[in-house]
Amino acid sequence: MNLSFFDQFSSPSLMGIPLVLISMMFPALLLSPTNNRWITDRTSTLQLWFVNLVTKQLMLPLDKKGHKWALILTSLMVFLLLINLLGLLPYTFTPTTQLSMNLALAFPLWLATLLIGLRNKPSASLAHLLPEGTPTPLIPALILIETTSLLIRPLALGVRLTANLTAGHLLIQLVSTATIALSSTMPAVSILTLLILFMLTILEVAVAMIQAYVFVLLLSLYLQENI
Amino acid sequence: RALCPLVPSAPAALRALPPPVAVGVLHTTRPLHTTQQSLAPVPPLPEKGGEVRHGVIPEEFFQFLYPKTGVTGPYMLGTGLLLYLLSKEIYVVNHETVAAACILTVIVYGVKKFGADVAAFADKLNEEKMATALAMKNGAIQTLQTAIEEEKKEQWRVEGRNYLFDAKRNNIAMLLEANYRERLLMVYNEVKKRLDYQVAMQTLKRQKEQDYMIQWVEKNVVQSITPQQQKESIAKCILDLKALSKTAHAAV
Repeated sequence: MNLSFFDQFSSPSLMGIPLVLISMMFPALLLSPTNNRWITDRTSTLQLWFVNLVTKQLMLPLDKKGHKWALILTSLMVFLLLINLLGLLPYTFTPTTQLSMNLALAFPLWLATLLIGLRNKPSASLAHLLPEGTPTPLIPALILIETTSLLIRPLALGVRLTANLTAGHLLIQLVSTATIALSSTMPAVSILTLLILFMLTILEVAVAMIQAYVFVLLLSLYLQENI
Repeated sequence: RALCPLVPSAPAALRALPPPVAVGVLHTTRPLHTTQQSLAPVPPLPEKGGEVRHGVIPEEFFQFLYPKTGVTGPYMLGTGLLLYLLSKEIYVVNHETVAAACILTVIVYGVKKFGADVAAFADKLNEEKMATALAMKNGAIQTLQTAIEEEKKEQWRVEGRNYLFDAKRNNIAMLLEANYRERLLMVYNEVKKRLDYQVAMQTLKRQKEQDYMIQWVEKNVVQSITPQQQKESIAKCILDLKALSKTAHAAV
């Protein structure tokens, strides 16, 4: 059904109606609704346990002011995790393969951390631009370098997520195409390629979870520096 | 629903309002409600989840087709449908098929291998929650029961106070008695000492008188022995001895 390898990355639309919003909202349907029971069913229990775990881990290094970010960081984590994992199913569209969405997530959050730091403790957040113990002649160059690394953070966050997922999906597609193409001529090599595809799938599952975690972790780190 | 968790059966327009407003509005619409207002007790969760066959197809589907097609009906339907889609190329086999096979294998393997463990973990979490609550309840009950027993014991102890007083009274009486007898003994001993002294004095005096009399008699006897009497008595003694010795020799 897909003519080229890049059709999976095009924004889905049905007869001209863009479906990308629905595909972004879909993972929320998979989460069990909040109920006012004390002992919940298994899915709700596991979901609650997971959310508690994530929130605790993210909020441990932050002080009380940073706890205001608990809701957005945890929900971002769950959102990215579900989108990434659902994208591994066949014929699905993964919104996080679109640079537009990832930059739209990364840029405002990073800017928020930066502005919080500049507003609350401006000298401390500017002091982060110079690491401790640098020799004096290097100071101007180092400040330029650190400023560049600071300003490139949102780009890095967005591009990291996009590149990882896009590359993974593309690799899966390429290796599976190779498997099919080789199955008629050299079946043994085709089996080998199938094995590679298995490993790749497992890797992609891991990458999906890790990338979501890394995104949120880096944001919380930037928050730690600036809170 | 998340906005106003007060009454799940309230109309959507009411639930859309923020909770303080919704509560106020709720009172005015109360006579119009037809369901229970309270949220507790919630109906219990079913013991087992819905029955599924092969992990995804509900058992009800098989039961639904059973009267018309028997046991193999759904499987025939599935196989026929699959073959129809494949042969008519309604579903085209492309690279996504292989990728689908891979990811589905990974998912099925994961569920089969870790499913029971994850379910047990979820059950354990719930069990721990219940166990802490139950432990608190039981601990409180235990403390109160121990308190009740202690109180009963104290009441029983109070009943025995008469025995305690009697025992104390007996103790004191014995002490007094013992003291009185001690003093009697002391008196007796003192009197005996004085009487013994008198008796000893008398015996001593008589003894002295006896000794003196014996001495005087001996002195007079010794003075009255003349030398002639002495010689005669000695010669008689010698003759007696000789006679004795003769009889003694004969005996040997």
